[in-house]
Amino acid sequence: MRRRVPRNIHREKVSLTNWKKTIFRVGSYLKDYRSKLMLVFTFTIVTTLTTVIGNRINGIVIDKYISQNKLHILLIVCALLATMYVIASIFTYFQNSVTIKVAQAVSTKIRQDVFSNLQRLPMKYFDTHNNGDVMSRLTNDVDNINTALMQTFVQLFTGVISVIGMGLAMIILSPLLTGVTLLSTVATYLFSKAIAKLTQKAFVNQQNRLGELNTQIEESVSGKQLVQLFNHTDSTMSEFNKVNRQYTKAAYKAQALSSVIGPFNNMTNNVAYVLITAIGAVSIIGHYGNITVGVIFTFLIYLRNFTGPINNVLDLINTLQLSLASAERVFELIDESQEKDNPEAISLKKAQGHIIFDHVSFAYDKRMILNDINLVADPGEVVALVGPTGAGKTTIMNLLTNLYPLKKGHVLLDGHDMTKIRRADLRKNVAIVQQESFLFTMSIRENIRLGRPDASNSDVERAAIEANADTFIRQLPDGYDTLLSENASQLSQGQRQLLSIARAFITEAPVLILDEATASIDSQTEADVQKAMANLMKNKTSFVIAHRLSTIQKANQILVIKYGQVIEQGNHQSLLNKNGFYAKLYNSQFD
Amino acid sequence: MFRIVMQHTHGKARWSFFLAPIIMLGEVFCDLQQPTLMSQIIDQGLAKGDLTFVIQHALLMLMFAILGLSFGGTCGALGSYASLKMGESLRSHMLEIALKNRQPNGLAPATLITRITNDVTQMQNLVMMVTRGLVRAPMLLLGGVVMSIIVCPDLAPILLIIMPFLVVFLLIIVRKSIPKYTQMQQSVDRVNQVMRENLQGAKTIKAYVLENHQLQQFSEQNQQLQNNSQIAAMVTVILSPVIQLMLNLGVVIALAYGGSLAISHTISDGQIIAFVNYMIQITSAMIMTVNIITAFSRAITSATRVQAVLDEAKSEQQVTTVDMRPSNDQIDFENVSFGYQTSKPILDNISFHVKSGQWLGIIGATGSGKSSLINLLTRQYDQYSGQIKLGGIDIQKMSLATVHQEIAVALQDSLLFSGTIKSNLTYGAIKATDVELNQATKVTQAFTFIDRLSKKYLAPVEQAGKNFSGGQRQRLNLARAIVPDSNILVLDDATSAVDQATNAQIKKNLQKLRHNKTTLIISQRVTNVMNCDEIIVLEDGKLTAQGTHAELLQKSNFYRDLIQTQLGDVDFDA
Repeated sequence: MRRRVPRNIHREKVSLTNWKKTIFRVGSYLKDYRSKLMLVFTFTIVTTLTTVIGNRINGIVIDKYISQNKLHILLIVCALLATMYVIASIFTYFQNSVTIKVAQAVSTKIRQDVFSNLQRLPMKYFDTHNNGDVMSRLTNDVDNINTALMQTFVQLFTGVISVIGMGLAMIILSPLLTGVTLLSTVATYLFSKAIAKLTQKAFVNQQNRLGELNTQIEESVSGKQLVQLFNHTDSTMSEFNKVNRQYTKAAYKAQALSSVIGPFNNMTNNVAYVLITAIGAVSIIGHYGNITVGVIFTFLIYLRNFTGPINNVLDLINTLQLSLASAERVFELIDESQEKDNPEAISLKKAQGHIIFDHVSFAYDKRMILNDINLVADPGEVVALVGPTGAGKTTIMNLLTNLYPLKKGHVLLDGHDMTKIRRADLRKNVAIVQQESFLFTMSIRENIRLGRPDASNSDVERAAIEANADTFIRQLPDGYDTLLSENASQLSQGQRQLLSIARAFITEAPVLILDEATASIDSQTEADVQKAMANLMKNKTSFVIAHRLSTIQKANQILVIKYGQVIEQGNHQSLLNKNGFYAKLYNSQFD
Repeated sequence: MFRIVMQHTHGKARWSFFLAPIIMLGEVFCDLQQPTLMSQIIDQGLAKGDLTFVIQHALLMLMFAILGLSFGGTCGALGSYASLKMGESLRSHMLEIALKNRQPNGLAPATLITRITNDVTQMQNLVMMVTRGLVRAPMLLLGGVVMSIIVCPDLAPILLIIMPFLVVFLLIIVRKSIPKYTQMQQSVDRVNQVMRENLQGAKTIKAYVLENHQLQQFSEQNQQLQNNSQIAAMVTVILSPVIQLMLNLGVVIALAYGGSLAISHTISDGQIIAFVNYMIQITSAMIMTVNIITAFSRAITSATRVQAVLDEAKSEQQVTTVDMRPSNDQIDFENVSFGYQTSKPILDNISFHVKSGQWLGIIGATGSGKSSLINLLTRQYDQYSGQIKLGGIDIQKMSLATVHQEIAVALQDSLLFSGTIKSNLTYGAIKATDVELNQATKVTQAFTFIDRLSKKYLAPVEQAGKNFSGGQRQRLNLARAIVPDSNILVLDDATSAVDQATNAQIKKNLQKLRHNKTTLIISQRVTNVMNCDEIIVLEDGKLTAQGTHAELLQKSNFYRDLIQTQLGDVDFDA
């Protein structure tokens, strides 16, 4: 009567690289619950055997007591049976609740382990791995493990015990009827396997068509405006209807075929039912063997409990394999190596903000991104980076926070090689405002406070005032306590940027990076943002990347970067006088 | 929900929808025959040692089993036909509504997509399940009760005691569990959200050293999830032992009570066995019913979400049947206002005139109404007051197709469709030749990078153009709008992702290409509109100034400020 795992029509082939190790590892999560699990196993054995024995006693009751008119004993046996069942149910209840609790505790722990490791992976991991894939490991795969622990495992265990127990009881009672029961079990299994084989192709086809269908829906709905503007509504619809029809056809083929499985199993059960009754009856009449009415009765009940578990066991083994594959994927993520500090790394609480790039080269995989960059920035200076998209400007900034390892050269903060400063300290000394700064779904106050978790409320508000964000925040219905929606979609791009500037303010870090901080802001807010940035840059070593040259003119140094190399370096006036790339870029905006 | 199903099943599909449950009745009937026949074999065949009777009845049972299979199979096939056809029709209908809808405040694309995909699939599955289960489970239940009363009326009281108790118990648990499961789902969503944010914001987290802070957040949510799923599971965990117990106790009572009756020869062994078998059938039917109820409550959410999309069609205005064609390409806005009922107007009494062949620049901050202006001109929305004319004719008197043939638009959001570069570029002019494509892509500075691809114009474009950079996408997007060589070209911030130097080159090329052809340029960047014949300034939905660059420098403060912030200390007289 347990919840059944839906029958897996395609017994998916899973390749496991090292299933022993994976099982062992899942086992290690269960260590703390050893005594509880032992209890569960004992309970399971007891309840399963109770069912097996109980069913047999039912048959005996019919043969011995009812047929032989022993009312007293009948009532006593029935009372005993009832007590047995009550105890078994109580056992089942405890067994189920303990399993669920253990399984959930384990999956919570696994999720926790995955997440905490994920937190400390190097940036490159996030660049090279699809968010969807990581999410699916964190959610689906952990869920699979949970199901395996909660249901599959126990079901498999109960299944095996009941099959063995009932099988033994059946063989002892009547080998003939046992054969009949087994036959129906095998028939059911073979048939569903045959159907699965037949439908496999149809299902794959259906899945592919569904993919096509969904892509079309996604594309045309999100491109709806284009579809309308280019007069494509009718042609899009007719194309869609074609795919839609194809999908229905493929799906019908697959579903109509597999919908026979249910009724067929029902039929084989019924046939076995008939055979047991008929063969039983015939042998009683003909006095072959020692079959009685009670035996027939027992078998009829066993039949319902036998075919189910045996088929289940086969499915469950497959599900278990899938879960092991999930576990393997999850552990892979747990084992991914973390960003580690150099053992000799020093602590640097408050830096001056003196930065040196000394012959820095950087390659991503084998692609050279930056080549021999040299730069000295004194505390309080403003350094601007200019150049076409993809020239490597943002990469320079990423290296400044040690997000990626260098290929050659050194980056120094206050004379210390960055790789020899503790990462947390280094990053606390550098504040970044990105083109699209990320805001979290928490209150505005908390979002700003992320810059310095020990900041007081008045610190937060002061930072917001400096960032020109205070006014708009106070106009919001809940002010600083306004809860941001996902991706802060209730704010304009400019307002989001002001918040991230406030967040940078509150860090009080001596080094500041502004990475295209005004690129996607409208002009009105841009004035606000620029004022805020000017405030922010005061007394800080600032690195500015910008499309708009007006932002850059006042910088102490300007680095013009093209194809990963510094091609010009100087201040606005000297670069204009040079009449090179910078001058061309600057003048192009007035054409 | 029934209405949706009715509206989207026609002809054969509708027949199948109604036929499937009726055929299912057949399967149930066959199933219900088995225990009765069996008890007859035992009581009459066995007792009298009548072999022919046994074999006859066994054959009868076999026949019912095979008949049951054919009923069941047919029902399954009909059910999947009906449900799939309904899904097909529903998807097609919803997509058409989504594409044709011209409501300014319609559903967002993301939710539309999930509604057309997931929610329709949910409903499809439900219809499939309903055609089989909705009849099978209750009928088996009812039939089981009826049959057992017929077969052995003496034992019926046992059912009458156990059944109501079980039903009430099941209902209580289901009712109690639904809110708990909703709560659990919310916890799941929150945990997922934290995880998703952490992946998206990985760089921010590292830069601000927030790893521990985030970990703590996650731990809290994770713990909460564990608690909530435990609460939910604990409510339902009692289900299976109780059902099991009821069943087993029922059997024991049947044996004890039935046994005592059998001893006094009121009923037979066969009757007891049949009764017990019916009881097993009834219990499994009951579990099936519970599953269907849960599935139903989930599908109802989907159905309401689907209905909301279907309802959007109702508010759609009748499209005019007249189709006049403009004789020239001048544009007039006459006292045009537009806005949603509640908030302040997005466009407030806008009037301007664009001469044939003129270049018009439209400048203003985000939210000033620039894009709405274009949406009205291209008839994305019709709910405005005032008049918009094309070649002197009210655009409401033209068909949508005519308006869209007249005007080509390049939007800021440069969405590409999956296919090839060519299929994207020829989206507005299917017959365009490669020579024409070359011309357009040279203008938008896309030619070089296309030429470097091994398949050139036949190079594949992935969904949303993911395999091209933002700048490349925008240049393709722009070329797509140029290829049809429409009388009027509108560029809505169409070069925002292109770098300064390329942008300048594109501007130059466009000026040559669209010389003396009506062109509207919307931008936040002064440099993009500076050279237009005429510029209008939008502030908060109002047209506050109009004139050439030189004139606006004189009369618009907003324009002057803009120049100041965007160009720095530039000598204006230069």
